[in-house]
Amino acid sequence: MNMKEVLKPAIVLLIIAGVAAALLGVVSEVTKAPIAAQAEKTLNEGMMAVMPDGGSFTEITDAEKTGTIQNIYKAENGGFVITTAPGGFGGAVNTMVGIGADGVITGLRVTSHSETPGLGAKSTDPSFYEQFAGKSGTLAVTKDGGEIVPITSSTITSRAVCSGAQEALDWVAANGGAY
Amino acid sequence: MANPLKLIKNGIVNENPTFVQVIGMCPTLAVTSSAINGIGMGLSTTAVLIFANIFVSLLRKVIPDTVRIPCFIVVIATFVTIIEFALKAYLPALNASLGLYIPLIVVNCLILARAEAFASKNGPVAAAFDGIGMGLGFTIALGVLGLVREFIGAGTLFDITVLPEAFPRTLLFVMAPGAFFTLACLMAALNHFRNKN
Repeated sequence: MNMKEVLKPAIVLLIIAGVAAALLGVVSEVTKAPIAAQAEKTLNEGMMAVMPDGGSFTEITDAEKTGTIQNIYKAENGGFVITTAPGGFGGAVNTMVGIGADGVITGLRVTSHSETPGLGAKSTDPSFYEQFAGKSGTLAVTKDGGEIVPITSSTITSRAVCSGAQEALDWVAANGGAY
Repeated sequence: MANPLKLIKNGIVNENPTFVQVIGMCPTLAVTSSAINGIGMGLSTTAVLIFANIFVSLLRKVIPDTVRIPCFIVVIATFVTIIEFALKAYLPALNASLGLYIPLIVVNCLILARAEAFASKNGPVAAAFDGIGMGLGFTIALGVLGLVREFIGAGTLFDITVLPEAFPRTLLFVMAPGAFFTLACLMAALNHFRNKN
């Protein structure tokens, strides 16, 4: 095998990879700002949905995050929006919970999940998540003696959403006064 | 160049990627829990397949044989990543429904298989038609799989309830084993008809 046979493929691959990397770098730079803007818009829309009277929201970064709490936002009206990621049937069930200054849930949404389609995936149905609005104190599904009617055949997912909401409620009860 | 219509028919019927070639099984089994998911995955794959085929075909004389596979993978991965960025930045609504599938496309061996078996040996126009045919064949297969699984498993078609509430749903069909059962039954039925002819 001579030098040319070894070098030529390597150089071609290097050029193709180099062009690809340069292209990706340019595309990444160009789309960075619009992607960040979209992410923020989605987040704001989510917060508006769980707390319609919240006004504007500011993230609290120095708070101690208990359990699966991801982010904590303070609303202008004194309430909190907290995102949690409790473990469901197929992975984390990301929830966003709005809790008013009085410690009552103003709204809850499941923002993303990998639950079974047709079963746990129904946690994104209004008939399920709307049960949480107006609740406070201790949350549990009916099977565990609580008030939340679980999704049929998806107790694990329903329990996960409950525990996510509970973590948020507990955090506000314990730390809400300090912020 | 082969007849474009023949190339498209070849992808949909004679060499259907799912039912005849049985490649790209990972996304096929994973995302077909509903008809809309299957079709979404199929169409995203079709778009990538067409462009990946064209690019590979254009580069086929430059790429040395010994490093062709890494070259194809770089081309495909770059293309998919650019689509992902563009969707996220400019078409958030489409990204919300298709975003799940885009990263899966990179690892779909259907794309690499067509690059290797067809695009690297044919001109860009033929390669584009091969991409359309194979992509449509894949989309139809995934759509049918999703349709059957959604109907039996959840009693809905395209998220619209069609079975009466009282009718029992076989939940197994929207879960992983249902994917294998449905694929096996569809493949057996198709092979039966093919053998008859």
